[in-house]
Amino acid sequence: MDLDKLRETAAEVAAREDVKYLIGWKKGSYGYRVAPGFVEEAEGAAGLIFSPLCTANLATYLTLVEKLPLPRGQEPDKRKVALMVKGCDSRAVAQLLVEKGIHRDEVVVIGCPCPGMVDPDLLGEKYPETEEPAEVKWSDDGFIIVRDGEETAVPRDELLAEKCRLCRYPNPVISDIMLGDPVDTWDPAEDEGVSEVEDKDVDGRWAYWQEQFSNCIRCYSCRNVCPLCYCQDCILDRLNPTWVNRSVNFSENTAFNIARAFHLAGRCIECGECERVCPANIPLGKLNRKLAREVRDKYGFEPGLDPEAEPFQASFKPDDPEDFIL
Amino acid sequence: MSAMLLKKEKWPDFVGKLTGKKVWAPQGEGEEMRFAPVNEGEAPDLAYGNTRVPPKQAVFPQTETMFRFQVDGKEIEEPQLDQETVLLGVRPCDARSMAIVDKLFGWDENDPYYFKRRELVTLVGLACSEPGINCFCTSVGGGPAATEGLDLLMTDLGEDYLLEAVTEKGELLLKEAGDILEEAGDDRYKEKEKLAQAAAQKIKRSVDHEGIPEGLPGLWEDPLWQRVSASCLGCGTCTFLCPTCHCFDIQDEVEGFAARRCRMWDSCMFNEYSLHTSGHNPRPSRRERTRNRINHKYSYYVDKFDVIACVGCGRCINLCPVNIDIVEILRQVKEAL
Amino acid sequence: MKTNDNPYIPYHATVEDTWFETGGERAIKTFKVVFDDEEVRKNWSHRPGQCAMIGVLGVGESMISISCSPTEGEFLRFSVMKMGKVTQALHQLEAGDKMTVRGPYGNSFPLDEWEGKHVLTIGGGIGQAPMRPVVEYVKANYDQYGGLTMIYGARTSGDLCFKKEFEDMAQDDELSCHLTIDIEEEQWDHNVGFVPQILLDVNPSPENTIAVTCGPPIMIRFVLENLKKLGFEDDQIYTTLENRMKCGIGKCGRCNAGNMYVCKDGPVFSYAELKEISEAFA
Repeated sequence: MDLDKLRETAAEVAAREDVKYLIGWKKGSYGYRVAPGFVEEAEGAAGLIFSPLCTANLATYLTLVEKLPLPRGQEPDKRKVALMVKGCDSRAVAQLLVEKGIHRDEVVVIGCPCPGMVDPDLLGEKYPETEEPAEVKWSDDGFIIVRDGEETAVPRDELLAEKCRLCRYPNPVISDIMLGDPVDTWDPAEDEGVSEVEDKDVDGRWAYWQEQFSNCIRCYSCRNVCPLCYCQDCILDRLNPTWVNRSVNFSENTAFNIARAFHLAGRCIECGECERVCPANIPLGKLNRKLAREVRDKYGFEPGLDPEAEPFQASFKPDDPEDFIL
Repeated sequence: MSAMLLKKEKWPDFVGKLTGKKVWAPQGEGEEMRFAPVNEGEAPDLAYGNTRVPPKQAVFPQTETMFRFQVDGKEIEEPQLDQETVLLGVRPCDARSMAIVDKLFGWDENDPYYFKRRELVTLVGLACSEPGINCFCTSVGGGPAATEGLDLLMTDLGEDYLLEAVTEKGELLLKEAGDILEEAGDDRYKEKEKLAQAAAQKIKRSVDHEGIPEGLPGLWEDPLWQRVSASCLGCGTCTFLCPTCHCFDIQDEVEGFAARRCRMWDSCMFNEYSLHTSGHNPRPSRRERTRNRINHKYSYYVDKFDVIACVGCGRCINLCPVNIDIVEILRQVKEAL
Repeated sequence: MKTNDNPYIPYHATVEDTWFETGGERAIKTFKVVFDDEEVRKNWSHRPGQCAMIGVLGVGESMISISCSPTEGEFLRFSVMKMGKVTQALHQLEAGDKMTVRGPYGNSFPLDEWEGKHVLTIGGGIGQAPMRPVVEYVKANYDQYGGLTMIYGARTSGDLCFKKEFEDMAQDDELSCHLTIDIEEEQWDHNVGFVPQILLDVNPSPENTIAVTCGPPIMIRFVLENLKKLGFEDDQIYTTLENRMKCGIGKCGRCNAGNMYVCKDGPVFSYAELKEISEAFA
């Protein structure tokens, strides 16, 4: 992607009178890190980047910002938020529109066609992170790692993130402005991670998730990073009545993780952020993709593709073949 | 007591001598996760970086039963804490964090659960030879071979470990190990000193905290708080994985008629942490919560207990999903002073 | 006072009497409780302004002001507004039922230092609860103080706590007691108007006087403003803070307002101290 073009466009958008701020990606504080960048003035756009390290799905910030009571006499700031999105991120925006979590006139969507991200853990294992800034770029057939002024070419398959190997929508599904040309889509890989768990028997699956959920520390980073986990009043925070105890053990952790997965069924857009941020390395992607697979196979439905679609679990057809509904 | 030497081939014998005590060491596949009990008869491999979850869980478990009771009953049954535990391979920063947190749990009135566990635990440290890229212990009062909080310090000298007792508990371990240890000569001690210095020099990051404890409250309305918290997800990763973070919630849990009151780690980064029942929240957004986290570690704690509540372990930096970097925040604080 | 090494283990107590101060969704109910254990009862001592963790086993605990003065007898009083999980459970309790109590917690109003001075209390709604022990204490040791003036208000007469006590005090010529409600009502023969305004009308002299105020934040704000107008110095004004609390003994970390733990360093602060705490008015 042409970074000059990206920054120029971002500067124009950030300068618009009807735009509050723009959220993009910027170089992080060290090593490979990339941080979300909030740009209020045109000048701030100069620090924005788009690289195979821009894994963060920024759509979560659309609903994360607290709505604080305004001082008397002050008008709410109704300007738009501009957001840079990859293909998967754009599906979160589309799904939020479906659910009316946001309204179309509240956002300016800047689409970034995405050739695929690197897996930060794989990258760190093979090419250890340094304190000095490092970067990763796309090449024609893979990635180029730039560390200490040295470039290392790495084949795409070696570092491509799992969610990107499975990706069916690398190009943004909605946008107001598209940066560059769409990328060529690729054949999504078989989701072996989900299949492997599916192939286990019940006891095997139970044992597998027992081990995983026992590691959960209940930091809720998966919930907070998720663009589609935005309930104002989450059942996990509720203490009156208490749905999930706050004590951290396998039973409560399982209740939490399953509750979250169920609430995302037919809504998860498979951006993989939950798994990326989990400090306990729980393979949450497998859990959420399993439900996404069920919804896709059984109902032929994929969330976050059409902002005009009916929400999957909240729509009813009079000619529904199942008679239990009426 | 002079320093002792343990041949690495005798490491399993050393661990074997810890009979009657529960042995904890870093456990987990791939990336070492957390301290957990070692199977009896096994000698843990200490060749690892630092654990993701700090060993604070050994003295301050993520969930702790305070007492049990029957619903509608009057009998209150306190848990029996009597299992002696030895933690092997504790990094000096994490041991130091316990010395720091001792002050909180011990001011005015002792926290019985914490101190009971603290009495029962022996901390066997391992000096760092390869600090992580986000380590900054040396600038907040610690060091790769610091002994504060430890009972015994081990240093990897290649074929051998050098063992130095710090407390009576540490002396006792050396005594119990008996003849599997050898006297370490001065040269081996000097070798260790050199390694420690070399390790300290590998630490690239630092915090210049001069003037920060006194100056922080004066930056209350500074725009920097909005800037550094805009990308915060409001999750508990930084606080749960911080070795000095010690806040907890207390909840009653009932199953049938059996019930318990327990406490669990809580995080000041959560909205409901400070939320009043009335709906009012004195820290209504991530800006106020981030400000509180930094102020608490670098100002309030210093004010109350005369020490910075941060040991420079770098966990919050390593594991923040959105690269919120406390070293960078403190640099901005310093700039704003 | 310690009959137990573990400060988290509560004492059992029995509700001896209970009554509603106010009604509605957020009703306020007062509990008069007595410890079950005689030794605890004998050894318990608290000072006006202190709080206690009261609760119901299996539900939880809440930090509540002790709303009686130790001069009143070997019992405790708590006035509890029905708000969340614990206070809802407390509201279910009737005379004879059990609750748990641990404490007392926090600092207290420096009533010894105030000897010889005139004490002025300015309260709103449930905010009178932490000040009621001050009133009772000063009344019980009246010859040691320079006098007592009370201003107390609520939205309606139905929202006033301790109404009977106040009406009795209003008849007492020795005391200066001013009741007020926000909006005119039939058969109300006291003041009508907001508490901060009544304060200006009463026009107390700041000379050798201590002002204590508790109530809703908005009321406190204007009361402070008006006290300053009347010439009160910062160190003549006292109030109490509240925050979410869990342990009560300065460990759990929840209640900090800046560098202060409200449960230990508070809840009582002079206005001079509060001005130094960055988070005090958050």
